[in-house]
Amino acid sequence: MPDISLIVALALMVIKVFIVTTILFVLPLPLTYVERKVAGHIQVRLGPWRVGPHGLLQPFADMIKLILKEDIVPDKADKFLFKLAPLMAMLPAFVVYAAIPFGDKWTIPFIDREVTLYIADMNVGILYVLAISGLGIYGLIFGGWSSNSKYALIGGLRSSAQMISYEIAVSFSAIGVVLLSRSLSLLEIVKSQGGNLLHWNFFYLPVGPVWFAIFLIGSLAEINRVPFDLPEDEGTLGAGFHTEYSGMRFAFFMLAEYLALVTVSVMSVVLFFGGWNAPFNVPFVPPILWFLGKVILFIYFFMWVRFTLPRYRYDQLMTIGWKILIPVSLVNLIITGLMKI
Amino acid sequence: MSGKERLNIFELIKKVVFTDFVKGLSITLGYNVRGSMTLKYPDQEKWIPYKRFRGLHTLNRDENGRELCVACELCSKACPTQCITVIPMEDDTGRGISDRVAKVWKVDLVRCLFCGYCEDACPTRAVRLGRDYELACSDSSCNLKQREELLVPQSVPESFEGGVVAASTFEASPAGLRVKADLTKTKKRPW
Repeated sequence: MPDISLIVALALMVIKVFIVTTILFVLPLPLTYVERKVAGHIQVRLGPWRVGPHGLLQPFADMIKLILKEDIVPDKADKFLFKLAPLMAMLPAFVVYAAIPFGDKWTIPFIDREVTLYIADMNVGILYVLAISGLGIYGLIFGGWSSNSKYALIGGLRSSAQMISYEIAVSFSAIGVVLLSRSLSLLEIVKSQGGNLLHWNFFYLPVGPVWFAIFLIGSLAEINRVPFDLPEDEGTLGAGFHTEYSGMRFAFFMLAEYLALVTVSVMSVVLFFGGWNAPFNVPFVPPILWFLGKVILFIYFFMWVRFTLPRYRYDQLMTIGWKILIPVSLVNLIITGLMKI
Repeated sequence: MSGKERLNIFELIKKVVFTDFVKGLSITLGYNVRGSMTLKYPDQEKWIPYKRFRGLHTLNRDENGRELCVACELCSKACPTQCITVIPMEDDTGRGISDRVAKVWKVDLVRCLFCGYCEDACPTRAVRLGRDYELACSDSSCNLKQREELLVPQSVPESFEGGVVAASTFEASPAGLRVKADLTKTKKRPW
Protein backbone atom coordinates (compact mmCIF):
# COMPACT_ATOMS: atom_id res chain seq x y z
CA MET A 1 0.00 0.00 0.00
CA PRO A 2 1.44 3.37 -1.04
CA ASP A 3 2.30 6.00 1.47
CA ILE A 4 -0.53 8.43 2.25
CA SER A 5 1.76 11.44 1.97
CA LEU A 6 2.69 10.39 -1.57
CA ILE A 7 -0.98 10.30 -2.58
CA VAL A 8 -1.54 13.72 -1.02
CA ALA A 9 1.48 15.13 -2.82
CA LEU A 10 0.24 13.67 -6.10
CA ALA A 11 -3.25 15.06 -5.55
CA LEU A 12 -1.80 18.47 -4.77
CA MET A 13 0.23 18.34 -7.96
CA VAL A 14 -2.82 17.44 -10.04
CA ILE A 15 -4.85 20.23 -8.43
CA LYS A 16 -2.10 22.75 -9.10
CA VAL A 17 -1.79 21.70 -12.74
CA PHE A 18 -5.55 21.88 -13.10
CA ILE A 19 -5.75 25.37 -11.61
CA VAL A 20 -2.89 26.73 -13.70
CA THR A 21 -4.28 25.25 -16.92
CA THR A 22 -7.76 26.60 -16.23
CA ILE A 23 -6.42 30.07 -15.54
CA LEU A 24 -4.34 29.96 -18.70
CA PHE A 25 -7.33 28.87 -20.78
CA VAL A 26 -9.47 31.70 -19.42
CA LEU A 27 -6.71 34.33 -19.52
CA PRO A 28 -7.09 35.31 -23.22
CA LEU A 29 -10.64 36.55 -22.52
CA PRO A 30 -9.62 39.46 -20.27
CA LEU A 31 -6.47 39.98 -22.33
CA THR A 32 -8.37 40.55 -25.59
CA TYR A 33 -10.65 42.96 -23.77
CA VAL A 34 -7.75 44.86 -22.21
CA GLU A 35 -5.89 44.93 -25.50
CA ARG A 36 -8.90 46.44 -27.28
CA LYS A 37 -9.42 48.96 -24.50
CA VAL A 38 -5.76 49.98 -24.52
CA ALA A 39 -5.86 50.25 -28.31
CA GLY A 40 -8.98 52.36 -28.12
CA HIS A 41 -7.74 54.69 -25.45
CA ILE A 42 -4.34 55.19 -27.07
CA GLN A 43 -6.15 56.09 -30.28
CA VAL A 44 -8.46 58.43 -28.29
CA ARG A 45 -11.44 56.15 -28.87
CA LEU A 46 -13.66 54.36 -26.39
CA GLY A 47 -12.82 50.78 -27.28
CA PRO A 48 -15.53 48.13 -26.71
CA TRP A 49 -18.53 49.83 -25.16
CA ARG A 50 -21.88 48.42 -26.22
CA VAL A 51 -21.74 44.72 -25.29
CA GLY A 52 -22.44 44.77 -21.58
CA PRO A 53 -21.41 47.58 -19.23
CA HIS A 54 -18.21 49.18 -20.58
CA GLY A 55 -18.14 46.43 -23.21
CA LEU A 56 -17.17 43.85 -20.61
CA LEU A 57 -19.02 41.04 -22.39
CA GLN A 58 -17.19 41.65 -25.67
CA PRO A 59 -14.74 38.72 -25.22
CA PHE A 60 -17.68 36.35 -24.75
CA ALA A 61 -19.30 37.69 -27.91
CA ASP A 62 -15.99 37.08 -29.71
CA MET A 63 -15.82 33.59 -28.32
CA ILE A 64 -19.33 32.75 -29.49
CA LYS A 65 -18.49 34.13 -32.92
CA LEU A 66 -15.33 32.03 -33.16
CA ILE A 67 -17.13 28.87 -32.03
CA LEU A 68 -19.99 29.34 -34.51
CA LYS A 69 -17.71 30.08 -37.46
CA GLU A 70 -17.30 27.51 -40.19
CA ASP A 71 -14.18 25.41 -39.80
CA ILE A 72 -12.55 25.60 -43.21
CA VAL A 73 -9.78 23.24 -44.28
CA PRO A 74 -8.49 24.23 -47.73
CA ASP A 75 -8.97 21.58 -50.41
CA LYS A 76 -5.31 21.31 -51.33
CA ALA A 77 -3.97 21.64 -47.82
CA ASP A 78 -1.96 18.92 -46.10
CA LYS A 79 -4.91 17.95 -43.89
CA PHE A 80 -3.01 16.20 -41.13
CA LEU A 81 -0.41 18.95 -40.61
CA PHE A 82 -3.06 21.62 -41.04
CA LYS A 83 -5.06 20.21 -38.16
CA LEU A 84 -1.96 19.51 -36.09
CA ALA A 85 -0.47 23.01 -36.36
CA PRO A 86 -2.79 24.89 -33.95
CA LEU A 87 -2.19 22.24 -31.30
CA MET A 88 1.55 22.40 -31.89
CA ALA A 89 1.40 26.14 -31.38
CA MET A 90 -0.81 25.95 -28.30
CA LEU A 91 0.70 23.08 -26.34
CA PRO A 92 4.18 24.53 -25.59
CA ALA A 93 2.58 27.74 -24.41
CA PHE A 94 0.89 25.75 -21.64
CA VAL A 95 3.76 23.40 -20.89
CA VAL A 96 6.13 26.29 -20.16
CA TYR A 97 4.21 27.08 -16.99
CA ALA A 98 5.30 23.84 -15.35
CA ALA A 99 8.61 25.47 -14.44
CA ILE A 100 7.52 28.98 -13.57
CA PRO A 101 7.52 29.91 -9.89
CA PHE A 102 4.58 32.13 -8.97
CA GLY A 103 5.58 32.34 -5.34
CA ASP A 104 7.55 30.52 -2.67
CA LYS A 105 5.68 28.59 0.00
CA TRP A 106 2.21 29.26 1.20
CA THR A 107 0.41 27.78 4.20
CA ILE A 108 -3.21 26.90 3.57
CA PRO A 109 -5.24 28.36 6.43
CA PHE A 110 -7.22 26.02 8.74
CA ILE A 111 -5.47 22.78 7.73
CA ASP A 112 -1.95 24.10 8.27
CA ARG A 113 -0.34 22.52 5.25
CA GLU A 114 2.42 24.09 3.28
CA VAL A 115 2.09 24.18 -0.50
CA THR A 116 4.61 25.46 -2.97
CA LEU A 117 3.35 27.99 -5.49
CA TYR A 118 5.07 26.33 -8.42
CA ILE A 119 4.42 23.05 -10.17
CA ALA A 120 8.02 21.84 -10.42
CA ASP A 121 11.31 23.25 -9.22
CA MET A 122 13.62 22.18 -12.03
CA ASN A 123 17.30 22.70 -11.55
CA VAL A 124 17.51 23.75 -15.22
CA GLY A 125 14.25 25.70 -15.27
CA ILE A 126 15.55 28.54 -17.39
CA LEU A 127 16.74 26.16 -20.12
CA TYR A 128 13.44 24.32 -19.98
CA VAL A 129 11.45 27.52 -20.51
CA LEU A 130 13.63 28.65 -23.40
CA ALA A 131 13.55 25.23 -25.06
CA ILE A 132 9.82 24.65 -24.71
CA SER A 133 8.76 28.13 -25.76
CA GLY A 134 11.03 27.67 -28.78
CA LEU A 135 9.00 24.59 -29.76
CA GLY A 136 5.94 26.78 -30.40
CA ILE A 137 7.54 27.80 -33.68
CA TYR A 138 6.66 24.38 -35.13
CA GLY A 139 2.99 25.31 -35.03
CA LEU A 140 3.67 28.41 -37.07
CA ILE A 141 5.87 26.62 -39.60
CA PHE A 142 3.45 23.69 -39.99
CA GLY A 143 0.52 26.07 -40.32
CA GLY A 144 2.33 28.10 -42.95
CA TRP A 145 3.56 25.05 -44.86
CA SER A 146 0.41 22.96 -44.82
CA SER A 147 -2.10 25.63 -45.84
CA ASN A 148 -0.78 25.53 -49.41
CA SER A 149 -0.91 29.30 -49.65
CA LYS A 150 1.89 31.67 -50.62
CA TYR A 151 1.18 34.19 -47.89
CA ALA A 152 0.97 31.58 -45.18
CA LEU A 153 4.22 29.98 -46.36
CA ILE A 154 6.10 33.28 -46.40
CA GLY A 155 4.70 34.08 -42.96
CA GLY A 156 5.86 30.73 -41.60
CA LEU A 157 9.32 31.16 -43.13
CA ARG A 158 9.67 34.63 -41.75
CA SER A 159 8.69 33.53 -38.28
CA SER A 160 11.22 30.69 -38.31
CA ALA A 161 14.00 33.00 -39.52
CA GLN A 162 13.06 35.52 -36.87
CA MET A 163 12.98 32.85 -34.19
CA ILE A 164 16.45 31.55 -35.07
CA SER A 165 17.95 35.05 -35.15
CA TYR A 166 16.54 36.19 -31.85
CA GLU A 167 16.67 32.95 -29.89
CA ILE A 168 20.45 33.42 -29.76
CA ALA A 169 20.22 36.88 -28.23
CA VAL A 170 17.55 35.77 -25.76
CA SER A 171 19.66 32.78 -24.73
CA PHE A 172 22.64 35.07 -24.20
CA SER A 173 20.58 37.27 -21.91
CA ALA A 174 19.51 34.13 -20.05
CA ILE A 175 23.20 33.28 -19.64
CA GLY A 176 23.72 36.77 -18.26
CA VAL A 177 20.98 36.21 -15.69
CA VAL A 178 22.49 32.86 -14.78
CA LEU A 179 25.84 34.59 -14.22
CA LEU A 180 24.23 37.23 -12.06
CA SER A 181 22.18 34.79 -9.97
CA ARG A 182 24.63 31.83 -10.04
CA SER A 183 21.86 29.31 -10.69
CA LEU A 184 19.86 27.76 -13.54
CA SER A 185 16.82 27.13 -11.38
CA LEU A 186 14.16 29.83 -11.72
CA LEU A 187 13.34 29.47 -8.03
CA GLU A 188 16.95 30.15 -7.05
CA ILE A 189 17.14 33.04 -9.50
CA VAL A 190 14.17 34.70 -7.81
CA LYS A 191 15.50 33.98 -4.34
CA SER A 192 18.85 35.53 -5.20
CA GLN A 193 17.03 38.78 -5.95
CA GLY A 194 15.47 38.96 -2.49
CA GLY A 195 15.79 41.94 -0.19
CA ASN A 196 15.00 45.24 -1.76
CA LEU A 197 14.85 46.83 -5.17
CA LEU A 198 18.62 47.12 -5.56
CA HIS A 199 19.11 43.35 -5.43
CA TRP A 200 17.07 42.83 -8.56
CA ASN A 201 19.03 41.73 -11.60
CA PHE A 202 17.80 44.75 -13.51
CA PHE A 203 19.61 47.06 -11.09
CA TYR A 204 22.93 45.22 -11.27
CA LEU A 205 24.67 48.16 -12.90
CA PRO A 206 25.90 48.58 -15.52
CA VAL A 207 25.11 45.22 -17.15
CA GLY A 208 21.61 44.54 -15.75
CA PRO A 209 19.68 47.05 -17.88
CA VAL A 210 21.59 45.97 -20.99
CA TRP A 211 20.67 42.31 -20.42
CA PHE A 212 17.11 43.37 -19.88
CA ALA A 213 17.01 45.43 -23.10
CA ILE A 214 18.40 42.48 -25.05
CA PHE A 215 15.91 40.12 -23.45
CA LEU A 216 13.00 42.48 -24.08
CA ILE A 217 13.78 43.13 -27.75
CA GLY A 218 14.59 39.48 -28.38
CA SER A 219 11.41 38.19 -26.77
CA LEU A 220 9.26 40.78 -28.52
CA ALA A 221 10.61 39.37 -31.76
CA GLU A 222 10.15 35.79 -30.63
CA ILE A 223 6.50 36.16 -29.74
CA ASN A 224 5.85 37.94 -33.05
CA ARG A 225 4.49 41.11 -31.56
CA VAL A 226 4.65 44.61 -32.91
CA PRO A 227 7.18 46.03 -33.83
CA PHE A 228 8.47 42.63 -34.97
CA ASP A 229 5.22 41.05 -36.17
CA LEU A 230 6.49 40.36 -39.66
CA PRO A 231 5.06 36.81 -39.80
CA GLU A 232 1.56 38.30 -39.76
CA ASP A 233 2.29 41.52 -41.58
CA GLU A 234 -1.19 42.57 -42.74
CA GLY A 235 0.07 44.97 -45.34
CA THR A 236 2.04 42.46 -47.35
CA LEU A 237 1.04 38.96 -46.25
CA GLY A 238 -2.71 38.99 -45.71
CA ALA A 239 -2.54 37.54 -42.22
CA GLY A 240 0.69 35.55 -42.45
CA PHE A 241 0.82 31.96 -41.29
CA HIS A 242 -2.82 31.85 -40.16
CA THR A 243 -4.29 33.27 -43.36
CA GLU A 244 -6.16 30.04 -44.12
CA TYR A 245 -7.34 29.34 -40.60
CA SER A 246 -10.79 30.16 -39.30
CA GLY A 247 -12.99 29.49 -36.31
CA MET A 248 -11.56 27.58 -33.37
CA ARG A 249 -8.31 26.66 -35.10
CA PHE A 250 -7.58 30.35 -35.50
CA ALA A 251 -8.62 30.86 -31.88
CA PHE A 252 -5.97 28.33 -30.81
CA PHE A 253 -3.30 30.37 -32.57
CA MET A 254 -4.56 33.49 -30.84
CA LEU A 255 -4.58 31.66 -27.51
CA ALA A 256 -0.97 30.61 -28.06
CA GLU A 257 -0.01 34.16 -28.94
CA TYR A 258 -1.60 35.65 -25.84
CA LEU A 259 -0.06 32.98 -23.63
CA ALA A 260 3.33 33.74 -25.17
CA LEU A 261 2.77 37.37 -24.24
CA VAL A 262 2.04 36.36 -20.66
CA THR A 263 5.04 34.03 -20.64
CA VAL A 264 7.38 36.80 -21.73
CA SER A 265 5.96 39.15 -19.10
CA VAL A 266 6.35 36.47 -16.43
CA MET A 267 9.90 35.69 -17.53
CA SER A 268 10.88 39.37 -17.49
CA VAL A 269 9.57 39.62 -13.95
CA VAL A 270 11.23 36.41 -12.80
CA LEU A 271 14.60 37.02 -14.43
CA PHE A 272 15.03 40.77 -13.95
CA PHE A 273 12.47 42.20 -11.57
CA GLY A 274 12.71 39.94 -8.58
CA GLY A 275 9.69 37.70 -9.10
CA TRP A 276 7.51 37.86 -6.03
CA ASN A 277 10.00 39.94 -4.00
CA ALA A 278 8.71 43.32 -2.87
CA PRO A 279 10.70 46.33 -4.09
CA PHE A 280 10.88 47.67 -0.51
CA ASN A 281 9.53 46.59 2.83
CA VAL A 282 5.76 46.88 2.75
CA PRO A 283 3.80 44.96 5.36
CA PHE A 284 0.59 43.00 4.65
CA VAL A 285 1.04 42.63 0.90
CA PRO A 286 1.30 38.94 0.00
CA PRO A 287 4.18 38.13 -2.38
CA ILE A 288 1.83 36.73 -5.04
CA LEU A 289 0.26 40.18 -5.40
CA TRP A 290 3.66 41.72 -6.08
CA PHE A 291 4.23 39.06 -8.71
CA LEU A 292 0.84 39.63 -10.37
CA GLY A 293 1.22 43.40 -10.24
CA LYS A 294 4.57 43.29 -12.00
CA VAL A 295 3.27 40.89 -14.63
CA ILE A 296 0.25 43.10 -15.30
CA LEU A 297 2.51 46.13 -15.69
CA PHE A 298 4.57 44.23 -18.22
CA ILE A 299 1.52 43.08 -20.15
CA TYR A 300 0.36 46.68 -20.30
CA PHE A 301 3.83 47.71 -21.44
CA PHE A 302 3.76 45.24 -24.35
CA MET A 303 0.31 46.48 -25.43
CA TRP A 304 1.49 50.05 -25.08
CA VAL A 305 4.47 49.32 -27.34
CA ARG A 306 2.19 47.59 -29.82
CA PHE A 307 0.12 50.71 -30.35
CA THR A 308 3.10 53.05 -30.42
CA LEU A 309 5.71 51.65 -32.76
CA PRO A 310 5.41 50.89 -36.46
CA ARG A 311 6.60 47.57 -37.85
CA TYR A 312 10.27 47.13 -38.77
CA ARG A 313 11.33 46.22 -42.27
CA TYR A 314 12.58 42.68 -42.74
CA ASP A 315 16.21 43.65 -43.34
CA GLN A 316 16.11 45.97 -40.33
CA LEU A 317 14.83 43.07 -38.26
CA MET A 318 17.77 40.92 -39.33
CA THR A 319 20.23 43.78 -38.78
CA ILE A 320 19.00 44.34 -35.24
CA GLY A 321 19.22 40.65 -34.47
CA TRP A 322 22.60 39.73 -35.92
CA LYS A 323 24.57 42.96 -36.07
CA ILE A 324 23.50 44.65 -32.85
CA LEU A 325 21.99 42.31 -30.29
CA ILE A 326 24.45 39.44 -30.63
CA PRO A 327 27.68 41.54 -30.52
CA VAL A 328 26.28 43.61 -27.65
CA SER A 329 25.38 40.50 -25.71
CA LEU A 330 28.87 39.01 -26.29
CA VAL A 331 30.55 42.15 -24.96
CA ASN A 332 28.11 42.30 -22.09
CA LEU A 333 28.82 38.67 -21.28
CA ILE A 334 32.54 39.40 -20.91
CA ILE A 335 31.87 42.42 -18.69
CA THR A 336 29.45 40.46 -16.53
CA GLY A 337 31.96 37.64 -16.19
CA LEU A 338 34.71 40.03 -15.15
CA MET A 339 32.44 41.70 -12.62
CA LYS A 340 31.48 38.36 -11.09
CA ILE A 341 35.04 37.02 -10.62
CA MET B 1 36.39 67.13 -37.77
CA SER B 2 35.71 67.19 -34.08
CA GLY B 3 32.32 68.85 -34.53
CA LYS B 4 31.06 66.11 -36.81
CA GLU B 5 32.41 63.39 -34.59
CA ARG B 6 30.86 64.82 -31.47
CA LEU B 7 27.52 64.90 -33.26
CA ASN B 8 27.88 61.23 -34.11
CA ILE B 9 28.68 60.33 -30.53
CA PHE B 10 25.70 62.35 -29.41
CA GLU B 11 23.49 60.47 -31.87
CA LEU B 12 24.91 57.18 -30.68
CA ILE B 13 24.13 57.98 -27.05
CA LYS B 14 20.62 58.92 -28.09
CA LYS B 15 20.25 55.54 -29.77
CA VAL B 16 21.68 53.61 -26.85
CA VAL B 17 19.25 55.07 -24.31
CA PHE B 18 16.28 54.72 -26.71
CA THR B 19 15.39 58.43 -26.81
CA ASP B 20 13.02 58.18 -29.77
CA PHE B 21 11.39 55.12 -28.28
CA VAL B 22 10.74 56.89 -24.97
CA LYS B 23 9.44 59.97 -26.79
CA GLY B 24 6.93 57.93 -28.77
CA LEU B 25 5.83 56.00 -25.71
CA SER B 26 5.27 59.15 -23.68
CA ILE B 27 3.09 60.60 -26.46
CA THR B 28 0.90 57.51 -26.62
CA LEU B 29 0.71 57.39 -22.82
CA GLY B 30 -0.58 60.95 -22.92
CA TYR B 31 -3.28 59.89 -25.36
CA ASN B 32 -4.06 56.88 -23.22
CA VAL B 33 -4.89 58.94 -20.15
CA ARG B 34 -6.53 61.96 -21.78
CA GLY B 35 -9.93 60.37 -22.35
CA SER B 36 -11.94 59.62 -25.43
CA MET B 37 -13.10 61.95 -28.17
CA THR B 38 -15.76 59.49 -29.29
CA LEU B 39 -19.25 60.30 -28.05
CA LYS B 40 -21.28 57.57 -26.41
CA TYR B 41 -23.84 57.94 -29.16
CA PRO B 42 -26.61 56.73 -29.21
CA ASP B 43 -26.75 55.29 -25.71
CA GLN B 44 -25.77 58.24 -23.56
CA GLU B 45 -24.72 61.25 -25.59
CA LYS B 46 -25.85 63.03 -28.71
CA TRP B 47 -24.32 65.88 -30.64
CA ILE B 48 -26.62 68.90 -31.02
CA PRO B 49 -25.43 70.89 -34.04
CA TYR B 50 -24.96 74.63 -34.30
CA LYS B 51 -27.72 76.91 -35.63
CA ARG B 52 -25.98 77.10 -38.99
CA PHE B 53 -26.37 73.35 -39.47
CA ARG B 54 -28.39 72.28 -42.52
CA GLY B 55 -30.42 69.19 -41.71
CA LEU B 56 -33.97 68.09 -42.42
CA HIS B 57 -36.32 70.74 -43.89
CA THR B 58 -38.90 72.31 -41.64
CA LEU B 59 -41.91 74.46 -42.54
CA ASN B 60 -42.57 77.24 -40.07
CA ARG B 61 -45.71 78.94 -38.81
CA ASP B 62 -46.11 82.50 -37.60
CA GLU B 63 -46.97 83.42 -34.01
CA ASN B 64 -50.71 82.93 -34.68
CA GLY B 65 -50.19 79.42 -35.95
CA ARG B 66 -50.72 80.28 -39.62
CA GLU B 67 -48.48 78.65 -42.19
CA LEU B 68 -45.85 81.01 -43.52
CA CYS B 69 -45.63 79.25 -46.85
CA VAL B 70 -47.37 81.10 -49.67
CA ALA B 71 -46.65 78.41 -52.26
CA CYS B 72 -44.71 80.80 -54.47
CA GLU B 73 -42.62 77.86 -55.74
CA LEU B 74 -39.40 79.85 -55.53
CA CYS B 75 -37.82 77.09 -53.50
CA SER B 76 -38.51 74.48 -56.12
CA LYS B 77 -37.19 76.83 -58.81
CA ALA B 78 -34.04 77.55 -56.81
CA CYS B 79 -33.40 73.91 -56.05
CA PRO B 80 -30.41 72.63 -58.06
CA THR B 81 -31.61 69.04 -57.93
CA GLN B 82 -35.32 69.68 -58.41
CA CYS B 83 -36.17 67.72 -55.31
CA ILE B 84 -38.92 70.06 -54.02
CA THR B 85 -42.44 69.81 -55.44
CA VAL B 86 -44.92 72.58 -54.65
CA ILE B 87 -48.56 72.58 -55.82
CA PRO B 88 -50.40 75.74 -54.80
CA MET B 89 -54.10 76.15 -54.06
CA GLU B 90 -56.47 78.88 -52.91
CA ASP B 91 -57.60 78.91 -49.33
CA ASP B 92 -59.21 81.87 -47.51
CA THR B 93 -59.97 80.09 -44.21
CA GLY B 94 -56.85 81.52 -42.56
CA ARG B 95 -54.67 78.45 -42.87
CA GLY B 96 -51.81 80.45 -44.29
CA ILE B 97 -50.74 84.05 -44.05
CA SER B 98 -52.16 84.70 -47.52
CA ASP B 99 -54.95 83.27 -49.65
CA ARG B 100 -52.46 81.16 -51.53
CA VAL B 101 -51.26 78.09 -49.64
CA ALA B 102 -49.47 74.89 -50.55
CA LYS B 103 -51.67 71.94 -51.40
CA VAL B 104 -48.59 69.77 -51.71
CA TRP B 105 -45.13 70.62 -50.46
CA LYS B 106 -42.87 67.64 -50.59
CA VAL B 107 -39.13 67.09 -50.68
CA ASP B 108 -37.29 64.05 -52.01
CA LEU B 109 -34.51 63.62 -49.41
CA VAL B 110 -32.59 61.17 -51.58
CA ARG B 111 -32.04 63.85 -54.18
CA CYS B 112 -31.68 66.78 -51.79
CA LEU B 113 -28.09 67.87 -51.24
CA PHE B 114 -28.86 70.17 -48.30
CA CYS B 115 -27.37 73.22 -50.01
CA GLY B 116 -29.82 75.64 -48.37
CA TYR B 117 -30.77 77.47 -51.57
CA CYS B 118 -34.44 76.93 -50.74
CA GLU B 119 -34.17 78.84 -47.48
CA ASP B 120 -32.33 81.65 -49.28
CA ALA B 121 -35.03 81.81 -51.93
CA CYS B 122 -37.96 81.77 -49.52
CA PRO B 123 -39.51 85.27 -49.24
CA THR B 124 -41.39 84.52 -46.00
CA ARG B 125 -38.78 82.43 -44.16
CA ALA B 126 -41.21 79.53 -44.25
CA VAL B 127 -38.80 76.78 -45.24
CA ARG B 128 -35.68 76.37 -43.12
CA LEU B 129 -33.15 73.59 -42.90
CA GLY B 130 -33.44 72.40 -39.32
CA ARG B 131 -31.17 70.40 -37.04
CA ASP B 132 -32.61 66.88 -37.32
CA TYR B 133 -29.97 64.72 -38.92
CA GLU B 134 -31.03 61.12 -38.28
CA LEU B 135 -32.64 60.54 -41.66
CA ALA B 136 -31.84 56.89 -42.24
CA CYS B 137 -34.51 54.22 -42.38
CA SER B 138 -34.73 50.59 -43.38
CA ASP B 139 -37.11 51.11 -46.33
CA SER B 140 -37.72 53.97 -48.75
CA SER B 141 -40.77 55.28 -46.90
CA CYS B 142 -38.89 58.07 -45.19
CA ASN B 143 -37.26 59.42 -48.32
CA LEU B 144 -40.24 61.53 -49.29
CA LYS B 145 -41.22 64.09 -46.66
CA GLN B 146 -44.69 65.63 -47.01
CA ARG B 147 -45.89 69.02 -45.82
CA GLU B 148 -47.78 67.58 -42.85
CA GLU B 149 -44.65 65.99 -41.45
CA LEU B 150 -42.48 69.01 -42.01
CA LEU B 151 -44.93 71.34 -40.24
CA VAL B 152 -44.38 69.49 -36.97
CA PRO B 153 -41.79 71.40 -34.88
CA GLN B 154 -38.38 69.69 -34.77
CA SER B 155 -36.79 68.24 -31.66
CA VAL B 156 -34.29 71.08 -31.34
CA PRO B 157 -36.08 74.47 -31.15
CA GLU B 158 -34.86 77.30 -33.37
CA SER B 159 -33.83 79.35 -30.33
CA PHE B 160 -31.50 76.68 -28.89
CA GLU B 161 -27.86 77.69 -29.31
CA GLY B 162 -26.42 74.26 -30.15
CA GLY B 163 -22.85 73.14 -30.52
CA VAL B 164 -23.09 71.01 -27.39
CA VAL B 165 -23.29 67.37 -26.40
CA ALA B 166 -26.62 66.52 -24.81
CA ALA B 167 -27.54 63.55 -22.66
CA SER B 168 -29.64 61.12 -24.66
CA THR B 169 -31.63 57.94 -24.46
CA PHE B 170 -31.82 55.29 -27.14
CA GLU B 171 -35.31 54.01 -27.89
CA ALA B 172 -35.72 50.96 -30.07
CA SER B 173 -39.31 50.09 -31.02
CA PRO B 174 -40.98 48.39 -33.98
CA ALA B 175 -41.81 51.88 -35.27
CA GLY B 176 -38.12 52.64 -35.59
CA LEU B 177 -35.06 53.72 -33.72
CA ARG B 178 -34.98 57.06 -31.96
CA VAL B 179 -32.29 58.89 -30.05
CA LYS B 180 -34.00 61.27 -27.70
CA ALA B 181 -31.82 64.14 -26.50
CA ASP B 182 -32.36 65.92 -23.21
CA LEU B 183 -31.55 69.55 -24.00
CA THR B 184 -31.48 70.57 -20.35
CA LYS B 185 -28.47 68.32 -19.67
CA THR B 186 -25.70 69.48 -21.92
CA LYS B 187 -21.95 69.69 -21.76
CA LYS B 188 -19.15 70.97 -23.92
CA ARG B 189 -17.80 68.75 -26.64
CA PRO B 190 -14.65 66.80 -25.73
CA TRP B 191 -12.45 67.99 -28.62
